[in-house]
Formats: sequence, C-alpha cells, structure tokens
Amino acid sequence: MLCEICNKNQASIHIQEIVKGQKHSLHICSSCAEKKGLSEMALQGINIAEILYKISTNVSSGQDIPDLDFADASPDEKEEVFSGASCEACGWNTDKFNKTGRLGCAKCYAAFKDILKEALKNMHKGTMHVGKRPRGPGAPGSDAPMLEIMNLQRLLDEHVQREEYEQAAKVRDRLKALREQAGEAKP
Amino acid sequence: MSAANPLDALLGNPVSWLADKGPDEDIAISSRIRLARNLADLPFPINADEAKARQVMAAVGAAVNRLQVVDTPLEFEINALPALDRAFLLERRLVSKEFCEDGPGRMLVVGKREDTGVMVNEEDHLRVQAMCSGFALPELWDKISAMDDKLSSELPFAFDPELGYLTSCPTNVGTGMRASVMLHLPALALNGQINAAIQGVNKLGLTVRGLFGEGSDCTGHLYQISNQSTLGESEEQIVQRLCTIIRQIINHEKNAREKLLSTRREFLLDNIGRAYGLLRYAYTLSSNEAINSLSSLRLGVDMGMFAAVDISMVNELFVLTQPAHLQKHAKKQLESAERDALRAEVVRDKLKTSGHGG
Repeated sequence: MLCEICNKNQASIHIQEIVKGQKHSLHICSSCAEKKGLSEMALQGINIAEILYKISTNVSSGQDIPDLDFADASPDEKEEVFSGASCEACGWNTDKFNKTGRLGCAKCYAAFKDILKEALKNMHKGTMHVGKRPRGPGAPGSDAPMLEIMNLQRLLDEHVQREEYEQAAKVRDRLKALREQAGEAKP
Repeated sequence: MSAANPLDALLGNPVSWLADKGPDEDIAISSRIRLARNLADLPFPINADEAKARQVMAAVGAAVNRLQVVDTPLEFEINALPALDRAFLLERRLVSKEFCEDGPGRMLVVGKREDTGVMVNEEDHLRVQAMCSGFALPELWDKISAMDDKLSSELPFAFDPELGYLTSCPTNVGTGMRASVMLHLPALALNGQINAAIQGVNKLGLTVRGLFGEGSDCTGHLYQISNQSTLGESEEQIVQRLCTIIRQIINHEKNAREKLLSTRREFLLDNIGRAYGLLRYAYTLSSNEAINSLSSLRLGVDMGMFAAVDISMVNELFVLTQPAHLQKHAKKQLESAERDALRAEVVRDKLKTSGHGG
C-alpha cells in the first residue's frame, strides 16, 4: 500500500480510530510521518481527526504539502501498527485518557482494554476482582457463583496456610455446595 | 429555599469523628473508608454534560433519602456555595479538594453527625464515605458496606465480573475502596524515626498523606495511612492488611514515647510545656504554630500530664483553628493577622474552661 500523503513510498505506519461507530484510517510512510512531526511517542496519543483534517485542507486548497522530501525514504521499512483506540459509547479517546488518566464511562474499560491491561498490573495487587458484588439491579447474574467460588478458594488456601482447620472446613463445605449448584445450572 | 444557611446546622455541632471516644484514641485520631461507585450507562463526571450530571444528582439524592443511607441528611449543592463554605466543608473532611471546585451536578449529602456522607459527581458518580473516632476499620467496613448494599438495591452500579466496580480512574477499580487511619506520631518524629517508618509503609504498598489528604503536608505530626491497591484483594483482606501494619506503627509510636520519657525526659517535657504555654497565653497564633503546638499538647495529654484537658477537645481544636472555621465563627471574612488573633482567642478560651491538671 502506498503512503496516502506522498503516494510514492510504501506505507509503513497504519493508524486506525473508531469514533461513534465510524472507522477512520490513515496509511503513511515513516518519512511523511516524521515530516508531520509524528514520532512513535506522539502516535500513542494521536488525534487522527486533526491529521485527516490537516491533510484534506492541504489537498483541497490545491497546495502541495510543504516540507516533504521523499528522496531518502527506504522502501522496505518494518511495518508498524498504531491503534488510537476510542470508546464507541462515549467518544473518549486515548489522547484524553493519556492527558487526564481517567476514563469517560464504564464501557471505556472494554474499549481501552489493551492499554489498561499493563497499567492495572502495575497499579494493583492483582488483575481480578475478588471483593463484594452489587446485590440489586447492577448484579451480574450468571457470573456470581463463579466469582464467589474463586473468592472462597482463596480464603480456603489462606485458612489452611494458617492452620485454621475449623474455619477451613466451613469454607470447604460452602465451596462444595456452590460447585454443585454451578454444575447443575450448566446444561 | 430558606434564607438560613444550612451550613449553620453543622457549625455548632461537635465533629463526631473527632469528639467521640474511640479505640486507640491516644495515637489513632480517626478512621475513614470511602467507596467509589458509578451508575451504569451514564458517562463518568469528567465526560458528563450538565444535564447528565444533574440526572445522576437527582437519582442519587432520591435514593440516599428514601433508603435512609445517612441519618438526618443535609444536602449542599457545591456550585451554589461561596468559597468560604466550601473551605469549611473541606476542613471538616466532608469533601475533597477537587470537589470544592465548580463542577456539573456536584452535591454533598451528609448525615447531621457528619460520620456518613455521599459526594455526588466528584471523580466518580458516588463517593460514599464513613468516618469514626479512633482505630476501627473492620467496624467501619461493616457500616459502609451496609450503606453500599442499600444504595445498590436501587441504583444500578457499573460493575464488571472481572474488574469489579468500574471507576473513572483505573487506580480505584475493583473494590473502589480507600480505607485510611489518621495517626498522631509525634514521638517517632521527635526521635527521627518517622521517615524510615514512612518508607517502610510505602514499601508495603500503602500511602502516607497529611491531614487534608492528597497534596497536603504532615504538619502536626498527623499522618493518614491508606491502601493503594483496590484490585486483586477483597475489602476484608485490604482492611486486614491495613490493620496489621497500622497496629505495628501504633506499637512503634508507643515504644518511642516510653523511650523518650526515659532517656530524654527533659527534652520531651520542655517541648510539651512550651507548647502549652503558647496555646494558653499567646495573643496571636499562626496556623502552623497552632497545629504544631496542639500536636505537642496532645502528646502531653496522652502521657497523663494534663488530667483536666480532654483529648477530644484537643482533636477538635485541630479543625476549629483552621481559617474557614475561624471566619465562620466570626461570621465575616478575616485577614491573616485577624485570623491569628482570633485563633489564639479560641484556643485560650477552650483551655481556660478545661483548666490544667499539671
């Protein structure tokens, strides 16, 4: 695929962003990227709309894109993929997340899953919730027993480690009952 | 709306989480737990417009009242409050610094005793909080968990089976819980062990902050110790871990006090005696002077040097001598010099009435 800016070099950087269900993509060569001031770092929090806007205004006004020199572009650059994620539900994007450190809505956790995965590992003691669950309308029905089983398994291990056998036995019985219940529920 | 300022209802009240008796009150001033919760299907406050934020405010306000989540609730819309009133709420630790700034749909619902409350549209839709005197995290967890159960019976909280309660900042995801205890550690500070203690606590994955939370310094040897991680451990495990470490710090402080008394008695008594003299007789007191002297007086009271001085009164003075409290007391804006004079007067009056047991 040729670079969408110079139409000359092989495109080696592919940027994709989905905003409110609409997919925008841009394929450019590393030379044009550099000329546009897009380092790898900058691409992490890229605003594709702005780039597309800049390119389209340059083209539609009939001007040449200035300051581009394609002479030294290498044709066999390593392919790199940058994905500027955004949340379909609320429009939050990587840029906003990087700037504020916050997410825009509950669904952002799915939209930014890849970025969050590493970050959560560094922030917390674990990557899986083992605490309480909502009881009312927010309660996730079918997942509930599975989580409790995990929780209890952990508690059981702790009791055994501390040689608290009486408490361990109680937890074991509860676990057994839950596992049977979960087994029955499955088809 | 009535003409009377609803904040006046709080002004005359003793702050229950400071005035009540609590376990280990000689070193632990207060315990506090807050839970971050969000309503599913509505954008987090940082991404919400006025209409959406007010929708959250209405839903949470109605649920808190109907379900009696806090006793005798008082409601304050933050944007409608003058800066002084916001600072007053901050000094009583009912709101965070961030919450004091204008923001769509920001509302505080607080129980009249000020030991329970909900901040609406802070960083998250709900910040449920409970506070008490002394060192009592397990009891406080039971209390706030019950508040949370009531709320979740009506409000659909954003929850994911893997990640737990979903919060605006990923540092709170999971339990959404921050539990903290405010410790008074003057002896560890006087014998130079405090920095080592703080480093140790940090290494164990806990955070140490000053009296007024994030970004505040540790004047008056007051340290807030809280959990950092919210994912991968249950609430009970977090509370247990905090309790174990805080118990150790309390013991260190006790040992340091005994050691100071036996090896550097004169130095210790001089420090406390000078502080009492300043508080009892000075006619101007700066904010830092007051906090640091109150800290020394508190140590003296704990060590039995001032039988007639009540420790709850000393605790309350930490808050009553703050700038916004002084100005609410005077019912007008005060310049810095006027505040220093009034601060000295307030402290003198309190100490005069409680006498001196020697």
